[in-house]
Amino acid sequence: MTHRRTTDRRIPRPTRSFANYFALAAAAALLLLPLAGFAQTSSTGSADRWLHVRVISSDNRGETVRVNIPLDMAEKVLPAINKDRLHSGKVRISEADCNGLDIKAILEAVRTSKDGEFVTVQGDENDVRVAKQGGYLLIHVTDKSGKHHLGRHMNHSDSSASSDKSDKTDKTAKVQAVSARESKVEIKVPMKVIDALFSAGKDELDLVAALHALSTYGDTELVSVKDDENTVRVWLDSKNVAD
Amino acid sequence: MILLAKVAIGFGTTLAVAGAYTFHQGVIRVDVDEFRQGGSHVHMWVPAAVVPMALRFVPKHHLNHASMEAREAMPIVRTMFHELRNYPNTLFVEVADGDQHVRVATEHGALAIDVTEKGEEEVHLRVPISTVEDVFAQLEKSASQSDIRGGKDEWN
Repeated sequence: MTHRRTTDRRIPRPTRSFANYFALAAAAALLLLPLAGFAQTSSTGSADRWLHVRVISSDNRGETVRVNIPLDMAEKVLPAINKDRLHSGKVRISEADCNGLDIKAILEAVRTSKDGEFVTVQGDENDVRVAKQGGYLLIHVTDKSGKHHLGRHMNHSDSSASSDKSDKTDKTAKVQAVSARESKVEIKVPMKVIDALFSAGKDELDLVAALHALSTYGDTELVSVKDDENTVRVWLDSKNVAD
Repeated sequence: MILLAKVAIGFGTTLAVAGAYTFHQGVIRVDVDEFRQGGSHVHMWVPAAVVPMALRFVPKHHLNHASMEAREAMPIVRTMFHELRNYPNTLFVEVADGDQHVRVATEHGALAIDVTEKGEEEVHLRVPISTVEDVFAQLEKSASQSDIRGGKDEWN
């Protein structure tokens, strides 16, 4: 008791209470620090939208490129880039880039029109299909030029073949090679994204607005390219890793 | 004896707090291994808290030069690293080409860059995101200060 009294006399009351509060605050901070770390880690919202790019090369080396970008991050970083034609998240385009086409007018026409096929080309070298379906603009291109050349080459080698058996083997090989040589491009873009892209002005593409519009969509496959050398996929989902 | 104990407790607490502060910021890790004869093997662990402090001792003209060189990239880097804080464990880029493998990711709040060439060399780098932010903040500060000085010189 005597000892406590002595301490009481040495430390004035306000100082002592400050020391108590400080000790309490320090203890609380120490206790809550790991929780704060946990909160920061778990703050990566599950509702995040991710843009994924995957390129797989079919050569012997098996080159693979995987890129995962959170749309939210891209939306914030893009306006910080001011280089050449890119300023404040917008890209300046000139008429020369569009080969004299009024892209805005074309898109307006596409936007206001009903769902349907706009372009269908079935040629010897290419098949092209441009359509609007369920709020998406679809562009499908099949390049058969590789198949064409290969076909000619195969026909030449056919004439030198002698037996029926070797003819059959050649045909099977030809079918496999033809499908391998064909390159397919499939693009699926939401109309709202296109609207946002051209919302800035006549000579500008608003990338940030387009990304923002894209982030409102669910899991979507945007671009798919398949040819004999590469497979490219660009898609949108809520996973932070590519499959 | 009691006085000695008090001194020991004070010293120990100071050491613990200093250690906690130093390692709270994380550690910069650099590992370089060259798998050839005479190849270098560098393994470096530096407390990240040391970097902003060390920057204060860098001669100003060097700092100004660095900040002028990085001026264009500064807003991008600042924004990017600020956003990276929201993605503490994420794989951003991965390139595999035969024996070569490149990986850019974040691991436990640190930027992780791994470059591996099987049998040739390996480079692993870990830098806490907060450290990069601190460094760029100091570079920006240095750039703005040199701007003010430049303006004053022009005025005079």
